[in-house]
Amino acid sequence: MVRTIGRRDFVKTGAAAGLTMALGRTLAGADGGRKARGIDVAVGVGEDYGLAAGRAIEALGGMKAFVRKGAKVALLPNVQSRHPGSFTKPEIVRAVIRLCREAGAAEVDCLSWQPIKQWEDTGLKAVCDEEGAGLRIYEKDEALFKAVPVPGGLALKEARILAAYFDHDVLVNMPITKDHAGNKFTGTMKNLMGLNSPASDRTFHRPNWKTDPDDVAHLEQCIVDLNKAVKPALNVVDATEFIVTNGPFGPGELLKPRKVVAGTDRVAVDAYCAGLWGLRPEDIVQIKRGSDQGLGTFDPAKVVVKEVRV
Amino acid sequence: MGALAKWRWAVAAAMLLCAGLPAASAGPGQGSLRGYLPADGAAAGWSRDGGPQEFEGEDLYTYIDGGAEIYQEYGFRRAVVQDYRDAAGREVSLEIFEMADPAAAFGMFTFKRSGKGAPLALGGGAELEAYYLNFWQGRFLVTLTGFDESAGTLEGLKALAGAAEKGLGDGGDVPGIVGLLPPEGLVAGSVKYLRGPLGLANVYPFGTARGLAFEEAVRGVYDSGETLIVLGYGSVEARTAAGRELEAALASSGRFERPGNYAADAVVLKDGKGNYLAFRGIEGRLAVGVHDTLDWALRTAARAR
Repeated sequence: MVRTIGRRDFVKTGAAAGLTMALGRTLAGADGGRKARGIDVAVGVGEDYGLAAGRAIEALGGMKAFVRKGAKVALLPNVQSRHPGSFTKPEIVRAVIRLCREAGAAEVDCLSWQPIKQWEDTGLKAVCDEEGAGLRIYEKDEALFKAVPVPGGLALKEARILAAYFDHDVLVNMPITKDHAGNKFTGTMKNLMGLNSPASDRTFHRPNWKTDPDDVAHLEQCIVDLNKAVKPALNVVDATEFIVTNGPFGPGELLKPRKVVAGTDRVAVDAYCAGLWGLRPEDIVQIKRGSDQGLGTFDPAKVVVKEVRV
Repeated sequence: MGALAKWRWAVAAAMLLCAGLPAASAGPGQGSLRGYLPADGAAAGWSRDGGPQEFEGEDLYTYIDGGAEIYQEYGFRRAVVQDYRDAAGREVSLEIFEMADPAAAFGMFTFKRSGKGAPLALGGGAELEAYYLNFWQGRFLVTLTGFDESAGTLEGLKALAGAAEKGLGDGGDVPGIVGLLPPEGLVAGSVKYLRGPLGLANVYPFGTARGLAFEEAVRGVYDSGETLIVLGYGSVEARTAAGRELEAALASSGRFERPGNYAADAVVLKDGKGNYLAFRGIEGRLAVGVHDTLDWALRTAARAR
């Protein structure tokens, strides 16, 4: 079911009323840093990417550990382009939708302000249609975004988050990890820019964000701050086949670890993914700052990783 | 027919004539880029699938959300995107980027190629990779993406690239700074021509420093593992000032240390991965040799022409 939602529709359908109720409470299961079953990073490895996603989530205690019966679940896959290795694979999204349903979710929706064409070209619209998940595409209209305070924000005092997010009980963050020409790495933390308003995203980039150390730090800090305002209940990262050059759009060199990485600790998950192509987490500013500011840890002495072959 | 009506007819006739002219006759920023797209059958067996998409200036952000900055850094003007399909259902996406000048197109080509693909005799330079192909010609960068690695798709990439090349006009010259890299031992495909710090950050992680506001730069990798980067600042004064800023910024970043006990007339730093960086000023340029031994780093910096 695809719905393109503009300001008028949004108000008409009563979503705004629901938002009023939803704001001011924490989304169920939104504890971004806790260990699930004592595991920080669960990894499904194999050729069947849907099964790999399932095994990784199972290692964390299964989807029921994150999605309660009757919950409304929001999914945030990456649909940046149709180039190979630049978007979350349909089979992983399909597996997560099914697991949410099996856990008793009342509703599963993909949220996005990206154009429908990208959902069609990547095959993700077809998955939503076939699995009966909602595809909620929102116009880039500031009225559809809600200003929320950023607790402990250093660069951002408030974030402008897609209001529909607050109409859901659980967020499953579903990036593909890949290269990024700007900050070398895309993972769970960067993916949340897909919920932030495009106008707000642009403020992350100050005029001299490429040359001025303060402006660069501002960009990375904004990403970290955004992650203080939005805490996914679960992160499921496509690390099956992804671009390690020419990111985030591609085409670029593909690395094929054939892994799906799941966890609640975004710093630990991102650090694991960065390591898949030889990046050191301490060199990725957002990972380092995320760790320093309490979003999670990449300390190998503390991070428990479990890999499951399928 | 009144004078105004005649004028309107003349304008309409001129527009019809122009529509039939080869697009390559248009100058930078003139006419539609659609005219550069291969027609159905121009590459045997391949036809357009859907309509083209066009993007100009800042609109590129709507197409490449989060990744348009590097194109803007090199000097982006316009782009057109068209999908193609063959009878077997194979798909190819063709993107033509019109850049500010041939140097910008060459630079984006060097940025996007891996250097590990197969060079092709196409345009000013071309590289076929596992499932995609890049080439540049004049002020244009062309990227073709297949969606599998089958032989049929790779043949389609080459055929469509060849068809696109025919309409793009004459080639451009490789920027002169590239010639400052000595050719002996230079790894084929390793050259990156850079126009700004974003490109530079992708060839060496200097981090950020105000001394990196160069005009243009080039990077080459050599067969003994050394890297040579030449940053062009335009004048001795600019290079001297930038060199001081850069040295101070790197030395105070906490990511570099100053090694002791070396006898050379060059600034040397050592990064966290154990690589030495030797800096040497040459007129308006700053040469940086990078290697995991001090001696090779110094020798590399000294090799810049």
